[in-house]
Amino acid sequence: MTLCFTGIRSFPKLWKSNPYLGLSLGHSYFSLFLKDRYGIREQQKWFSLKAVSAQNTKAVNLLVAKSRCVRKGDKGSNKEVSSDSHLFAAGAARKRSQMNPLREDHALPPVRNTIQLPTKPLTSEEWDKLKENFKGKANFASWIISQMAHSRSSIDVAKSLLAWVAAKNNGIVGYDLLVRYLYLCVFHKQTSEVIDVYEIMKARYKRLEPGAYTLLIQGLVRSDRWKEALLLLEDVKKVLIPSVRNYNDCIEGALLHQDVSLAWNLYQELLGRDLTPMLKTLKAFFDFGKNVKDEQYSNKLLDILLYLRNNHLYPEESFAHSIKTWFESVPGEQWKGQFTTIKESGQCSGCGKTMESIHLSPEEYEFLKGEIMRDVIDGGDQYKKTTPQELKRFQSFVKCCPPFDIVIDGLNVAKTFPKVRESQVLLDVVSQLAKQNLQLLVLGRKHMLTQHSRWRKDEMKKVQKQASCFFADNISEDDPFLLYATLHSGNHCKFITKDLMRDHKACLRDAKTQRLFFKWQQGHQLAIVNRLTRSKITFQHIPSYNTVVQTTGDSWHIPYDEDTVERYSYEVPTKWLCLHRKT
Amino acid sequence: MPIFLKMSGSITLRSCARYLVPFIIPRKRSVLCSAILQRYMSSKIPGVSYPKTESTSPPEQLGLDGWKITMKSSVQEEGVSPVSSSKDEDPLAAIRELIEMWRLLGKEVPEHISEEELKTTMECVSKSSKKKYLKYLYIKEKKKKANQIKKERKAATREKAIREQLLETTKEDKQQNFLFLRLWDRNMDIAMGWKGAQAMQFGQPLVFDMDYDNYMKPKELQNTVSQLLESEGCNRRDVDPFHLYFCNLKIDGAYHKELVKHYREKWDKLLLTATEKSHVDLFPKDSLIYLTADSPNVMTTFKHDKIYIVGSFVDKAMQTGTSLAKAKRLKLATERLPLDRYLQWDTGTKNLTLDQMMRILLCLKNTGSWEEALKFVPRRKYSGCLEISQHSQELVNGLKKSKTFNSSPKGSLNIHTQKRWLK
Repeated sequence: MTLCFTGIRSFPKLWKSNPYLGLSLGHSYFSLFLKDRYGIREQQKWFSLKAVSAQNTKAVNLLVAKSRCVRKGDKGSNKEVSSDSHLFAAGAARKRSQMNPLREDHALPPVRNTIQLPTKPLTSEEWDKLKENFKGKANFASWIISQMAHSRSSIDVAKSLLAWVAAKNNGIVGYDLLVRYLYLCVFHKQTSEVIDVYEIMKARYKRLEPGAYTLLIQGLVRSDRWKEALLLLEDVKKVLIPSVRNYNDCIEGALLHQDVSLAWNLYQELLGRDLTPMLKTLKAFFDFGKNVKDEQYSNKLLDILLYLRNNHLYPEESFAHSIKTWFESVPGEQWKGQFTTIKESGQCSGCGKTMESIHLSPEEYEFLKGEIMRDVIDGGDQYKKTTPQELKRFQSFVKCCPPFDIVIDGLNVAKTFPKVRESQVLLDVVSQLAKQNLQLLVLGRKHMLTQHSRWRKDEMKKVQKQASCFFADNISEDDPFLLYATLHSGNHCKFITKDLMRDHKACLRDAKTQRLFFKWQQGHQLAIVNRLTRSKITFQHIPSYNTVVQTTGDSWHIPYDEDTVERYSYEVPTKWLCLHRKT
Repeated sequence: MPIFLKMSGSITLRSCARYLVPFIIPRKRSVLCSAILQRYMSSKIPGVSYPKTESTSPPEQLGLDGWKITMKSSVQEEGVSPVSSSKDEDPLAAIRELIEMWRLLGKEVPEHISEEELKTTMECVSKSSKKKYLKYLYIKEKKKKANQIKKERKAATREKAIREQLLETTKEDKQQNFLFLRLWDRNMDIAMGWKGAQAMQFGQPLVFDMDYDNYMKPKELQNTVSQLLESEGCNRRDVDPFHLYFCNLKIDGAYHKELVKHYREKWDKLLLTATEKSHVDLFPKDSLIYLTADSPNVMTTFKHDKIYIVGSFVDKAMQTGTSLAKAKRLKLATERLPLDRYLQWDTGTKNLTLDQMMRILLCLKNTGSWEEALKFVPRRKYSGCLEISQHSQELVNGLKKSKTFNSSPKGSLNIHTQKRWLK
């Protein structure tokens, strides 16, 4: 630490002269520390190192972009997947963010490892020597073992450290050292060592903490003493709710040792605690199912698929493979699986079946309408988003107008193209839609009506001629009105905005309603996609099908996540697993 | 130095473990070791001193598994381990042990924890909330300890100084002439009391709206009350204090309880008006201005004929627009501080604490200069002050002039000359 400070003090000019040092002060601090050990002349080198690393990230980004392009090219045939980046398609948000040039480069994690970690077991003198070199606030032994755990050293090295500590300390090794050692044992899958540590811990401590329990469970389930992992799980339950990971390990252990009923019991318990199981757990059931020829087991697996459906979960690529293999292994039913995509029309490219519609059922629709009215617009205090007077004015306005075909978020649409005047964009959009003889509603705020360089009165007049308009107070929120007007007009009505409406989704009461909202949003939201204003404005197409696990009895369609695509929480996968029975 | 012997040869370490006579040394506290074992060690080990020479010849290569055998065997000697002793113990003990194990692992948990705190921990629904609460206790404990140490050090130096002084004073016992007795604190209190009484009569009202108890968790409410205390203190020390109003303060409500808990018997002698009534009942509506960061209107000048309302609300749950909704409901004018006009905002919310608000308002009232007043905004939140160009300065001045002073008679606002509950 002292070295580091002298380093900083001796190069004050450097700090000032280099503008980009000042920016990442916290970060360069450590790097400087690292390099300064070698002396002053290394300074120059350090700067070049930093420069290279910056280029590297850029290069990596380029590579990423390139690979993306390549992938795009590969799938040229599947037009509906590659060419459009639908607002809610998996990976679309990532692409959008990469278009943004202001993205910050990820800073490299600070490295402050001043001691070379040993690669082979050391003698006690060597450990002593190493300890002398160590200058830090922390306890040497716990510091070095955490470093070793971080870099996954071999367990022999760790063992020699523990032996050295024990020798110094009456044969006692601290609990934190034991846990870190246990981590290494579990990581390197050294079951016998795990059992040894387990014995020691059991003898020495009455109760452990969740970290050690998790490691022990993970280590023990592969051994013959896997039943004891269940006892450990019971111990965890006494104080805390076990993590899904604990359950996952136990279930995997039970399946590994052919105890199917126990595995299902644990799974039920996990669901009973309102935990969301890891996809790994579900995959384990499917993997195990290949060798089980049992009606009951099959039914339970189908239940898992329904669970995925109800909770809008999507399997990963490897899980999708497991599902496919299991279906194909079911005797006498002759399932055939293939990985496909769905056409824009909602037909599976594999079997030609039509997917479930994106539209809500009438009951769902009514339910959602009520929930949005209560939670998003009213929200317990009508004054928060609007005022009761305004709400009444709006409701009577909507009631006396004929149902609309399209509701436009005036401000969002107007600000789509920053270089063009707001009122003009709005007018373009409105007149284009009006030509199609659609009943329009433009929502906006009152300030749009006052003359301004960006809001011209004549253009607003033209807008008002072609569409019904409602202007809310300047401090009211317009999105709730948009949602209400759209929902009130009926199922055919769409709305135009680029807003993802995540804040309004978050206002909704529970996950089920939020999923319903998302489904409705997918089916009714139009977003402007083209970038040339004057040309014809084109909209994002609306998918006609719902992306969810679905079945018709003799066929299953399961959307899944590709390993290479990063999907954001409000996006849906584009890849499907199509399973159908040969007849 | 502690000794661990590596026995080479045909005898296994396990069998000779009982012959190993560890050398007891006063262990540092930081050495992590279970309490059980410590007890065991200290009770069982005979105090035989061990020849030091033995330890100087440690083995070349450490036995890799030796430590394990010792760890296990030491317990085997002990006989029945405490594992099986209590199967159905109460959950409090279990959680206490859990905390102990977390502490051994170096997690941020308190060393000592009371029954009540344990119960609170147990009532936390999730693991993360438990951890959060324990971290809070840990930090509290650490602070307390540091304060204790500081106190002791101070006491020691003071004692030393007094002793030295005693030696000096014996040498020269000089008569000195003073004008005043050392009664500064009390004089100051009395002076502030006078000023406070004056403010009660003629001061400009400043309202704290206490109608937020439903929006806050107990923790936030405590923070609010300590901020209120701080702001009241600031106001009391000022040259020209406000006449404070605590409006919508329900008797025996959460606010009231917390305030009385902090002020104790001083509560009834405070020179401010606490009332259950709303501010709209006490003052004419058009002279009220609700200060809220969500307001669309920017405050340009401090007006001496207006009554400013500050919501006493600490909002950690991001319930934006709560106070604006309140003002909208009562149809009050709203304003926000011109933070963006004068400061290059960096990070943090624009909601300031109550005491910062108080200081800013006091400063505005006394000097009218925004640059001075906004110095009370925490420095971490902005990166610098913005230069106001001559043009905009003129504009502001013009606005000031054009504002018609609809001065309502000052006396009418200050009907209450002493703190009392309005019925």
